[in-house]
Amino acid sequence: MPRPESKIIQLTIDGREVRAPEGEMLVEAARLGDIEIPYFCFERKLGKPVGACRMCLVEIEGIPKLQTSCSTPVKDGMVVHTQTQRVRGAQNAIVEFLLVNHPLDCPVCDKGGECPLQDITFGWGAGRSRFIEPKRHFVKPLALSPLVAIDRERCILCYRCVRFSQEIAEDYQLIFAERGAHTFVATHDGHPYVAPFSGNIIELCPVGALTSQPYRFRARPWDIEGGAGVCTLCPAQCNVSFTVRDEKVMRVLAREHPEVDDGWLCDKGRFAYQAMHVDERITAPMVREGGELREASWEEALDRAAGLAGHRGRVGALVGGGASNEEGFLLARLMREGLASVDIDSRVGDAVAPVLARAAAAPALQATVPDLEFAHTVLVVGCDPQEDAPILDLRIRKGVRRHGTKLAVATARPSALDPNAAVTVRLAPGGEAAFLAGLAEELRGDGGGELAQLLRDGGKDVVIVWGERLGAAALPHLLSVADLLGLGAREGAGLLEIPGSANGRGLREAGVLADSGPGYSALAAELEGRSSSQMAAATAEGELTAFYLFETDPVRDLPDRSRWERALADASLVVAHASVLTEGIREHADVVFPAESYAEKEGTVVHPDGRVQRLRIAVAHPDEVRAGWSVIAELARRLGHDLGVSTSPEAFAQLVQAVPFYAGLTLEGLAGRGARWPARAEASAFPAPGAPAPAPGRAAVPPPGPVAGPTTEDPRGATAPAPPSPSAPPSGSGTLRLGVHRPLWASPNVEISPALKYAIARQHAELSPADAQRLGLTAGETVEVASNGTAVKATVAVHSGIPAGTVFLADGLAEDSANVFTGFEVEVRKP
Amino acid sequence: MSRASRAAARAAQPAPAQSSDWDTPRLAPVPRFGHGSRVPGWDDAVDLTKDPAVVPDLATTPVPDGLRKKIEEAMARYPDFHSASIPALHAAQEVHGWCSPEAIEQVAAVMHLTPAYLTSVATFYDMLVTTPKGHNDVFVCTNISCSLRGADALYEAMLVAAEDDDDITVRSFECLGACDIAPMASVNGDYVGPLETADAKQIVEDLQAGRAVLPGKQLSRRPSADPQARGQ
Amino acid sequence: MKKILFDRIDEPGLNTLPVYERRGGYGALRKALKMTREQVLDELLTSGIRGRGGAGFQMGKKISFLPKGDMDKYLVCNADESEPGTFKDRELMQKSPHMLIEGIVIAAYAGGIDRSFIYIRGEYKQQADILEAAIEEARAAGYIAEGILGSDYSLSLVLHRGAGAYICGEETGLLDSLEGKRGNPRLKPPFPAVEGLYESPTLINNVETLATVPHIISMGGAEYAKIGTETSTGTKLVSVSGDVKRPGNYEIELGIPSREIIYGLAGGPLDGREIKLWFPGGSSAPVLTAEDLDIPYDFDSLAKAGSMLGSGAIIVVDDSHPVLEVATKLAKFYAHESCGKCVPCREGTNWTVKMLARIDSGEATPMDLDIMASVQEQIIGNCLCVLGDAMAMPIGSMIEKYRPELEAHIEAARERAMSGALADVVALGVADEHAGPMPVH
Repeated sequence: MPRPESKIIQLTIDGREVRAPEGEMLVEAARLGDIEIPYFCFERKLGKPVGACRMCLVEIEGIPKLQTSCSTPVKDGMVVHTQTQRVRGAQNAIVEFLLVNHPLDCPVCDKGGECPLQDITFGWGAGRSRFIEPKRHFVKPLALSPLVAIDRERCILCYRCVRFSQEIAEDYQLIFAERGAHTFVATHDGHPYVAPFSGNIIELCPVGALTSQPYRFRARPWDIEGGAGVCTLCPAQCNVSFTVRDEKVMRVLAREHPEVDDGWLCDKGRFAYQAMHVDERITAPMVREGGELREASWEEALDRAAGLAGHRGRVGALVGGGASNEEGFLLARLMREGLASVDIDSRVGDAVAPVLARAAAAPALQATVPDLEFAHTVLVVGCDPQEDAPILDLRIRKGVRRHGTKLAVATARPSALDPNAAVTVRLAPGGEAAFLAGLAEELRGDGGGELAQLLRDGGKDVVIVWGERLGAAALPHLLSVADLLGLGAREGAGLLEIPGSANGRGLREAGVLADSGPGYSALAAELEGRSSSQMAAATAEGELTAFYLFETDPVRDLPDRSRWERALADASLVVAHASVLTEGIREHADVVFPAESYAEKEGTVVHPDGRVQRLRIAVAHPDEVRAGWSVIAELARRLGHDLGVSTSPEAFAQLVQAVPFYAGLTLEGLAGRGARWPARAEASAFPAPGAPAPAPGRAAVPPPGPVAGPTTEDPRGATAPAPPSPSAPPSGSGTLRLGVHRPLWASPNVEISPALKYAIARQHAELSPADAQRLGLTAGETVEVASNGTAVKATVAVHSGIPAGTVFLADGLAEDSANVFTGFEVEVRKP
Repeated sequence: MSRASRAAARAAQPAPAQSSDWDTPRLAPVPRFGHGSRVPGWDDAVDLTKDPAVVPDLATTPVPDGLRKKIEEAMARYPDFHSASIPALHAAQEVHGWCSPEAIEQVAAVMHLTPAYLTSVATFYDMLVTTPKGHNDVFVCTNISCSLRGADALYEAMLVAAEDDDDITVRSFECLGACDIAPMASVNGDYVGPLETADAKQIVEDLQAGRAVLPGKQLSRRPSADPQARGQ
Repeated sequence: MKKILFDRIDEPGLNTLPVYERRGGYGALRKALKMTREQVLDELLTSGIRGRGGAGFQMGKKISFLPKGDMDKYLVCNADESEPGTFKDRELMQKSPHMLIEGIVIAAYAGGIDRSFIYIRGEYKQQADILEAAIEEARAAGYIAEGILGSDYSLSLVLHRGAGAYICGEETGLLDSLEGKRGNPRLKPPFPAVEGLYESPTLINNVETLATVPHIISMGGAEYAKIGTETSTGTKLVSVSGDVKRPGNYEIELGIPSREIIYGLAGGPLDGREIKLWFPGGSSAPVLTAEDLDIPYDFDSLAKAGSMLGSGAIIVVDDSHPVLEVATKLAKFYAHESCGKCVPCREGTNWTVKMLARIDSGEATPMDLDIMASVQEQIIGNCLCVLGDAMAMPIGSMIEKYRPELEAHIEAARERAMSGALADVVALGVADEHAGPMPVH
């Protein structure tokens, strides 16, 4: 879809000539001319202006009445006055009116010092009020949610928070109730405003009416300093600004980047910073002694870790998504060069053949985040952006709402985007590969179903958002679909992968893969190693005897929990970098190095759309924490292999050297906004896929008849019985087909953040109403979900969106996680 | 129940349980707030033990068949189903007596909207009532034209007359568009006037007896004031 | 006087199709359908008819502002008659619903519109029931149909009942309400003719305006324009209420002296009383005094006198009522009906109520009148819609014209308060009688 292009026009504001894009709202255009017009309700990010606060009234020549500059698009030759007696009078009036019912409790207000109402009262008010009646007083503050406190006295009804809930997050939980001066911000019947993006309303509030429960009274604006950073709690990598006081992160605010986050944050990103400063965090090295972990000196811990030397060639390394590119890169060097071990992986799913991986990551095929907004059609397949990279969910909604983007969703589990979708295809869990193969087949012909027609005829700019969990088997078909739609050839079209971990993309590019080196370079045969699942198996055979776990716990994060438990137990040395003692680390690690938080890290990460972003140090390392790169480098030295890095920029320089398509990137150049490498000329250095991709549609999977129909493909590699279509229950009354998802909140950081205790993900067995009835289960009761002698406890949730015959469970949980199951069939029963 | 006694009842209820994470000290009413808010809802915190009010699932939200049919018919009448929200709330109010949270949740389930959307709409309009009320509605117009002709006294009389009947809810209302019969009232939608304070008792008696209210004073039987408007 | 809308309006059964047809009903529609759209629009433009809802904008022009071409376009009949003192549409809909329906079909035809709505205030239950029955009849008879009367013109009509909110009489508030939202007015521009209901071009007209359309088509626009004055053509239904002997609706020719309506038709003030002030066009119109009774009743003459014809509702207040009582009543009404969206209206109306209450409680000084007048000025022109102005204009005019009386009131109340007669007055909580009881300290 063509992006809005506007020509630059000239207008006169207060006698000053201002150049601005035509159609820009006057209040914004004035800013371009360094003229400030005060406002409360206007917020560009919220879309159409509402004109409610009337603060931005200005005089426009030729129009008799004063106009709201927030809703007046600029035209060439317009003459505007913002300083006349009339405008001044209106501004004074509005300030006076606003203060009629606004308490003057600024000295005890959390917003004091950073409050637009305070500033505007000083700047544009008359400095007096003629209101002598008693002001209204109400009980305050009140809970609006576990995270947000509301002070209704202070509310000026600017509409920002309710517009956010209704038109941006579209959760439509926050509303205005009553009318006139009785209007107040409320929810339905005293339900809390709990939604994935609720925290944004705190930042939007122009007064102290909505305050952050965790931040209230923790600091004053003059106590704090800001630090720019990138949130690496999920792949969306939103740009954030840390509010720092005394070397502690007190708050996280959005640092608007239109090409990454649009200025919004999810509640995990906004509040899980608390995990940095809690007792549960590991802030000193630990070693295992007598079966228990105890704190140790760095010297002792490094010495113990140097025991890896005794496992040369038999060390497996797993790198989690919190790792920076540099850390991944250095660890890969340590493994391949220092420990002669080739088994290193950063993927959460199965290995993807390098040919396919390169094809899927090819620069021409990469869609950007803004592409989601301006595409004709967005197809979401095999992921739920709200859980996997929440901010992308908002961007997709924005496109649908504002630009008429058509959305198609093809997932097994009902996605949060379903209500916005023009086409929804419900797949059987594990049926993604078959679905894509079928879709490719349909696209090859002229006909096909609704989805094929939408993709073919709905406009050429198609963006396919897919998740790493789609599975390696689906990838050839995905590439066929992309090829058939010509996505590689178009700007504004392409694929956008949501990796399974925050810096998944960067780690792959840095060579943290079993079968590729830095920059997806081909590895010599002797350097090709095992993927994560193969590593687990190899331990059982005694081929691997030690593990290096960098900010990941495979017991928690990877499929097949019990196999990983066995693998770690069998290994004689497990070295880990961790900030929380999750199950696998607590039970099996022999050495634990305290890991940095993302506010302490220095390095780079790569956004799913290829944007290299810079992590900068916002707060000092607490206690004994040391930089991850330096620990790897130090360990390498002790293992007799100097990696040649003594600063983080040196590590970056090595990385740039090693990855041809990063050539020319500098830390200075990445400052602030980062740089999208696929858009740079150096992207031509990206390796060609190599051997041609398998002939589309004639690959391993026979094209099925109906979309989402039965297939014999099992994305986990094993041969499984044909999965049933979503509507047909498998044999056996209690047997259901298992689908797995990872909730947004399934994260150790959430578990230890005091403010997020309410959000900790718990296991729910999501059933269709038909199955619930058939099994005699009602919502809220506890059941056992079991397969092959393994069982987890879960609370029943009934949704009509769940296809009959299917049950969905969550993984990534501390308890009762679904990664204990390896098959597709489970039994749901009363305990 | 009168508005005053409802407010009192609400005040008497125990405060909703607060989760322990809510680390502001539990707020005892500060003396100057002691009187409570005069605006319903302003002093209410959310109940943190409740789940968020997302779109209710029709599969797990029982809705009376008749109501569901009415709402679905209303939704079909408009190019955009949202337009049916007021008719749907009217229908739910008819079934439930008032727009109770439960009624709103039922409408939300059928319309596939969040209950908050409908709460927002319902609280905006005077005829949609979000606190319990009687089955009989008496709206006494107290706006300018009626008040010039004694509506305020009529309203007081009406309140007194219906005092003991919980099933009759008397409200003062803005101009009902019948200033020609001022002072007047709308009794369950039927306009009657001009009324005298003595009529208040009669209205209550007629309602209690279930018969037509003040048949002689019903607007529908009144000829036009314009002398030349009579039909031949 | 010539009767057009009210011609034999009381005829029994006129609300049913047979009687309406017997009197020639739907003849204008037949005639219109034989004309082209442009011809119908021409007749409306020639007639010069101005909107009867309040703003007095030329109806024909409004239709001509609709974009041409094939797109969704809507007609919405504004039957949310809630301006205090106004009840003419109620009588029209109750007694001659088919006249309105016929007018809607013709106006929609002129605008190339194929979907229409009547937004009727929820309080008008009887009238809505009557209209609904009439719509059914019209449907059965093929006046609202696919291919009306064998032509290729189609129209649907849906009756939508509101739920009690004055602001829904404001056209954009009405549109939001009709879309199933809170009835908050929208920013203008865009105007409804460009972006109205469901973001499509929309023609919004008042009941009386639309009900006149069949008559204009029947008699011809030029003939209609001969009635009334040059810029206020035609007849107008006037609702007279308050302190008069014969309150009610009267159809008058625009331009007759106001005195003739108040004294001639409505019988003048009650015995022994004098007219103190009167609202010429609903409670939102600046008040006029007994000296203004000879002003011709038409759009321009009233505007020239500093007021407006508005909805055509004359409210007469006699000398038994203090002006403060009238002002307080109105201010409370507007404060209660303010939608709360924009600041000057929401806060200004409430503040005004509090200031007026202060006068009566004896806590005011004459300076408060200056503040009050200044607050009204701060409201006028600064709001999102006209509701704020609708309070500020009459209140402002009352302060201006009845200042001596208000000052005397202040003085008297102060004396009473000093003497302890008002010891129980609590200034708090008077903002709104609908808000609940006063606090008990």
